[in-house]
Amino acid sequence: MIQDYLILSIILFSLGILGVISRRNVFTVFMSIELMLNAANLAFIALSRLHESMDGHVLAMMVMAVAAAEAALALAVVILLHKHKGKLDTNVFSLLRG
Amino acid sequence: MENTATYLGLIPLLPLAGALVTGLLHMLTCRRKPLPELFYGVVGCIGPLLAFFFALVLFFHLKGMPAEERFLSHIPYTWFAVGDLRVDMGFLADPLSSLMLLFVTFIGSLIHIYSIGYMAGDENFGKFFSYLNLFLGSMLILVLGNGPVVMFVGWEGVGLCSYLLISFYSKERENVLAGNKAFIVNRIGDFGFVLGVSLLFWAIGAGGFDYLALQANAGSLTPGVGIAVCLLLFLGACGKSAQIPLYVWLPDAMAGPTPVSALIHAATMVTAGVYMVARFSFLYVQFPVAGSVVAWVGILTALLAAIFGLFQRDIKKILAYSTVSQLGYMFAGVGVAAYSAGIFHVFTHAFFKALLFLGAGAVIYALHHQQDIWKMGGLKEKMPKTYWTMLIGALALAGCPPLSGFFSKDEILFSALAHGHIGIWLVGVVVAALTAYYTFRMIFVVFHGQPRDQHAWEQAKDAPAVMTWPLLILAFGAFFVGFLNLPGLFGGGLRVSHWLAPSLVESHPHVGLGVELLAVFAGVAAFVVGITLAYRKFGKGATEPEYRGFARFAYHKFYVDELYNALFVQPYKAFGGVISRILEPKVTDLPVRLSTWLYRWAGNAFKVLQVGYVRVYALYMVIGLSLMSLILSQSIN
Amino acid sequence: MFAEWLFTAFALLSILGAIGLILFRHPMHGAMSLVVTMVSLAGLYALLSARLIFVLQLIVYAGAIMSLILFIIMFLNIQTRDLPEEKGRILYLLGGIVLLVPVASFLIKVVKSLPATEATIVGSGFGGVKEVGLVLFQDWLLPFEIVSLLLLVALIGAVVLAGKRRFVK
Repeated sequence: MIQDYLILSIILFSLGILGVISRRNVFTVFMSIELMLNAANLAFIALSRLHESMDGHVLAMMVMAVAAAEAALALAVVILLHKHKGKLDTNVFSLLRG
Repeated sequence: MENTATYLGLIPLLPLAGALVTGLLHMLTCRRKPLPELFYGVVGCIGPLLAFFFALVLFFHLKGMPAEERFLSHIPYTWFAVGDLRVDMGFLADPLSSLMLLFVTFIGSLIHIYSIGYMAGDENFGKFFSYLNLFLGSMLILVLGNGPVVMFVGWEGVGLCSYLLISFYSKERENVLAGNKAFIVNRIGDFGFVLGVSLLFWAIGAGGFDYLALQANAGSLTPGVGIAVCLLLFLGACGKSAQIPLYVWLPDAMAGPTPVSALIHAATMVTAGVYMVARFSFLYVQFPVAGSVVAWVGILTALLAAIFGLFQRDIKKILAYSTVSQLGYMFAGVGVAAYSAGIFHVFTHAFFKALLFLGAGAVIYALHHQQDIWKMGGLKEKMPKTYWTMLIGALALAGCPPLSGFFSKDEILFSALAHGHIGIWLVGVVVAALTAYYTFRMIFVVFHGQPRDQHAWEQAKDAPAVMTWPLLILAFGAFFVGFLNLPGLFGGGLRVSHWLAPSLVESHPHVGLGVELLAVFAGVAAFVVGITLAYRKFGKGATEPEYRGFARFAYHKFYVDELYNALFVQPYKAFGGVISRILEPKVTDLPVRLSTWLYRWAGNAFKVLQVGYVRVYALYMVIGLSLMSLILSQSIN
Repeated sequence: MFAEWLFTAFALLSILGAIGLILFRHPMHGAMSLVVTMVSLAGLYALLSARLIFVLQLIVYAGAIMSLILFIIMFLNIQTRDLPEEKGRILYLLGGIVLLVPVASFLIKVVKSLPATEATIVGSGFGGVKEVGLVLFQDWLLPFEIVSLLLLVALIGAVVLAGKRRFVK
């Protein structure tokens, strides 16, 4: 059933959000975002199957490309962070504190 | 008769464009390397000269039309329309406005040319020309406007420019104060004008708000409202044209450069009031009571200013009071419903007063900004051109036949007599004698006798050609323009009056030859008496007299300025002080402060939420998402 | 029948991997469990007849991106004592679950309203390189080019950010 795939996608997405909210480790946060992207991809592919069109597949490819770009940049930022502060804590970035 | 003449809109636009160009260039370049003065001079003069050219075209266009159809209008666009009020940005040319246009642009152009010489070397040369152009442009809007609202635009523009130009030498405090005084006193008048126009709109504005519609609907005015409108409009005219009780700004306005004084007194600004009353002649004719008030205020102003003029020592102030006095004549003229006589006096006065001011400017220029007549004397030999031209101007002002001033003044006095205003006529004759006296007091003291300041006398010489040529042209005008309106007594045909007739509502009572002769002889007698007295006292050189008694009282201008200061300015200042010290901080500022305090408090309270951690912000987002989902899931099953 | 068994198995594996990701303290463990999720997702794509995406998921995601992450983690040589203390994470976790329940239930409601279709495996003519390629280079050409630009920018950005800096503060 296609619906099952979609429900699985929702569950994975929620788990990704939970990871972003609850963890402070930069790597884990980053990988949680990857997880959310993957959940979205799953939804694209499932809906593409449902509608028997190829557009969902193309979108999934785009998402993968964006995820690759994001990975490159994000990991560069992580390296910088580690270089400067010697930490992997997202709480180090608190410049927006009121 | 509707006719489109697009160059009508061009006439005010030309000086305004000149103002824009010179003003912007001056602003851009004055910090670093200023542009050459000649450039500003040429650019500044192009606008007025072209406007004069178009005014001539317009004049001959109108002249070519049948007398009853001399009417051109051009409406580029509708300015605004609110409810019943629909105001077009429209321009109108009829005999009245075309005559005004002609001499305003002509004399304005001459003053612009003269200024090239007079202002040479001033660091704000470009600014001066920009202001002058703006002044002229505003005046042209005022003259050409097809309704009270468009007229008001020019009216305010003229007021603004007078403020800017009077305080042009803004490094000295007195000049700035004089500018302030002019502006504030004018505001009082403008207040009356706005009230009058509003009242007029409330009463008969529904049928259209340009002069034609107003004239057509004027018959439905009730006497009460009509008289109120007339008097309120006249209050505005008092402010602009310096009549009792608002004349006090004009003598102080002498603080500005002399060409500005000439422009204010001759071509623009002060004539606006007379023009406005003539424009609304259809109202004033309907309510003779208001006309009488205008006439009496005018003639009393003439008397008062003439008395002040007898004792002044500043050459420009003498001329200023003579302007106030002559304006009084004009109002007496329009007040007794002799509109064409009043406008004709505006016309001739523009020539000889511009001439006198520019001549005085030449004297002041030659003596290095010396304005005290008791430090001059004997300049006749040193400055012959200035002397002869100014003498013509003085004779015209004093009403010497057959110069222009004689005919126009005579026309006013004759009209007063013919309309049965004996009192006004008598005062007018006295003022004519006084005018001759103080004018020739000035001429004798400045140009005749022995030099009182030897050093300055030796250095004095005639001004450069760019300044003397306008004087010569104006002298020619001051001599001859009177013949344009030669009354029937001298074999003329009152051509100016006939030209103006379609725009004005006036009646010419028929009186006998005796009355006419009486008026002429009284005028000539007044001139002769005045000039004889002046010659006997000052003709052979005189020393500065000590003023005692009445003279001292008049020398200090009856202490009117001090009276106004004590009566209005000081209480007003005290009132303002109370407001600024008590009312404002304790009452009106309270809600403002309260709201700032509230915002600060709220900001501090919400600051707690801004923890600075990205994941917490993500949490906020999820909270929002969650609430949204809760609400949305209600709507689907 | 066999396909449904496979679906259940892959679904359970991917969920377990995701839970592992958000619970393991050390990012290395998290990354390994994410690989499990990625691979089981690839299996699900295969069940959905998306042959190209199945291959790409394995090569790009499970292969390239995950190995990049693992490489960086190992490169930084993270010890357990370097890791941030995360005392309140259980609280955050519980709060997050409470908040996400309405969101998820709402989405599931929406999904349930879709038509029920069996996801039988389709043979040729769906999800292959040819089909996707035709759509990609006909309808999606401009987004494709934009994405290539984005990758270029990311490339330069990564070099600039991670490269040697002359002005370390």
